[in-house]
Amino acid sequence: MENNELQKVWKSVNSEINQKSKDELNLLLISKTKQTINKFLVIMSISILVCVGLLIYLTITSLNRQNDFVYLINNVTLGIVAIISLISGLLSWYKIQNNRYNQPLRNWLEVRINFLSKWLTGRFSKLYIFLIPFLYILTVLSIHVYFENKSFIEVLNTEESVIGLIVAAPIGLFVSYFVARRIRKYQLHNLEFLKDLYGRLCNAG
Amino acid sequence: MKFTKEEFLEILSNYQGILHKVSLVYFKNKHDREDNLQEIIYQLWKSYPSLKNPNSIGSWIYAVSINTSISRVKKVSRIEYRETIPELPDKSNVIDEISMNESLQLLLNAIYKLDEIDKSIILLYLEEKSYNEIAEIIGISTSNVGVRINRAKETLKQNFKNSNHGK
Repeated sequence: MENNELQKVWKSVNSEINQKSKDELNLLLISKTKQTINKFLVIMSISILVCVGLLIYLTITSLNRQNDFVYLINNVTLGIVAIISLISGLLSWYKIQNNRYNQPLRNWLEVRINFLSKWLTGRFSKLYIFLIPFLYILTVLSIHVYFENKSFIEVLNTEESVIGLIVAAPIGLFVSYFVARRIRKYQLHNLEFLKDLYGRLCNAG
Repeated sequence: MKFTKEEFLEILSNYQGILHKVSLVYFKNKHDREDNLQEIIYQLWKSYPSLKNPNSIGSWIYAVSINTSISRVKKVSRIEYRETIPELPDKSNVIDEISMNESLQLLLNAIYKLDEIDKSIILLYLEEKSYNEIAEIIGISTSNVGVRINRAKETLKQNFKNSNHGK
């Protein structure tokens, strides 16, 4: 088949396209914008509600346990990590959403690969391995110590509490790691896909 | 440039063929194409204020459409994989919703077998874009465009022959 024959065949696609009116295009834009804003509001609201709820809980329990110094340190650490996680989580999400498509394919691939590489293989990419058990254990301890009506040290010296922690920790950690790893695995596949495309684009000559 | 929605819709209406064709090349089923079309419109609207040169509207629309489609291809293929949709034979993959002449169906089947980069190169070639325009949209040198087009065309012709023999 000759080159211009391919182009001739392709031209017939114009008659097959179902052109949309301006109103239809406007409706598509409005509904997509609404969907995106709603998604943003849901994620933002849930994150803030969880974080604020946790902070209220930490404040109330800390005020009721002002004499338990170790318990206070536990709660303050948890509060600080929760706030930092909320801010960095929302910032990362904003960056992902703010992906700019109005550049040449090669530049867009470079920007996307750099962003994903920093996130998935950068200096802090493995932080979640330490952060998940750390946060999980601090949260479980905060709740458990408060409802046991004993001091932090006393609870840690109680055999049942320690056994309870040993049994509960692996279950919670397994679920948390499972979710985190799945997200990471998907994004790593995505990164490989983009790197592969970029490689093909650069190896043309 | 002014950033009024009315002007944006006017541009979109005039150039919507590009959006449809890019979606057609990257997505086999109608539902995915409609979703992609909506996503492209949204991304165009988001980047509309940064459009500086009114003379390069076509290139801007191609770039946004191609980049958006490539970023969605992986997502859609993942959903298809997870839903374990059985793979359909070649002929039934293509444009089941609209009647299309046989040559065009075969050509599309051949295009679907190309990788994502070659799909964009071939689309721009079939749209009779100049090497300079293709270089601007893809972000490679003009001489490189020639090499890539020749390679992609060879693969396309081979795929086209195979589709033709397999019908």
